[in-house]
Amino acid sequence: MSEPVPVPGRSRWLDVVGVLGVVAMGVTVWLGLWVTPPDVVQGNLARLLYIHPPIATVALYWVGIVAAGGSLLYLWPRTRSFFWDRLAASAVEVGAVFSALTLVTGSLWGRPAWGVWWTWDARLTSTALLLLLEIGYMALRRVPAEPAIRARRCAVAALLITIDIPIVHFSVDWWQTLHQGGTVLDPGFDLHVHGIMLWTLGIGFLAFSLIFVWLLGVRYQVEVLQDAVGDQELEVSLTERWNEDTELVGVGSGDGEPHPGGGAP
Amino acid sequence: MSYVDAGYAVALGALFVYAVGLVLRRRRWERALRVSEVPVAETESAPGPGERL
Repeated sequence: MSEPVPVPGRSRWLDVVGVLGVVAMGVTVWLGLWVTPPDVVQGNLARLLYIHPPIATVALYWVGIVAAGGSLLYLWPRTRSFFWDRLAASAVEVGAVFSALTLVTGSLWGRPAWGVWWTWDARLTSTALLLLLEIGYMALRRVPAEPAIRARRCAVAALLITIDIPIVHFSVDWWQTLHQGGTVLDPGFDLHVHGIMLWTLGIGFLAFSLIFVWLLGVRYQVEVLQDAVGDQELEVSLTERWNEDTELVGVGSGDGEPHPGGGAP
Repeated sequence: MSYVDAGYAVALGALFVYAVGLVLRRRRWERALRVSEVPVAETESAPGPGERL
């Protein structure tokens, strides 16, 4: 039998994170669309770069850290808890949304900048693979199984998914790609962006990170509630089954007493 | 609509729709949990496995 599901209440800190995320997002949009000047080379198209790298950062690094960390901590016997399993599962689903948005916003930037919506570039292909793997993880999670088996299976799958993350990160260094290298930092940690553009990008990173934390928190609550309802339904089914059995035994004997060996599951 | 406007609209719109969907899912599961708790409370008086009537 699995451990009892602790059902979470509404969390005030999560509401605060959500409000801060929305405020930071508003500031990012305001700065990105109206305050920052057009780029010397890219013109107004550079405004997309205030949201695309932050979305990609969440999709790759924050999701990767939570999914891999949660899965490792679940697999490690000393720290094994369904908390880590649920956290990793929540991160992967939120990560799939951010991976899809990374591809869409990148494509909307690529069409005018490169002349194509899509190319089989190493960075783009490995990011698309990440999205497919995340969808596969979600499908695997829906396969009926004992909670412990499902959790172990999903933890291994999440660790396999996270192997793709360093490949996405280093793809621009390992292969000759159309996608440029680091947007903010080059390998020597020299900044490519300055002034108000840097501030806008920084607030963009903060905004999407806060939104990620809020989405992760709410998705975790959904995961816990699903498991709790599943436990309750199982308990109800068992109780109903037991009642049916005892009624049948009572009717069969006619004396209302259960016969030895009959009825008990 | 420019590519920039489309990018912002798609990103913010998709996140908004996903966030609203999550909140609705949480509400639905909270309701389901409340509903599923009622029969358990009602059947608590019934004999459990191994108990005699």
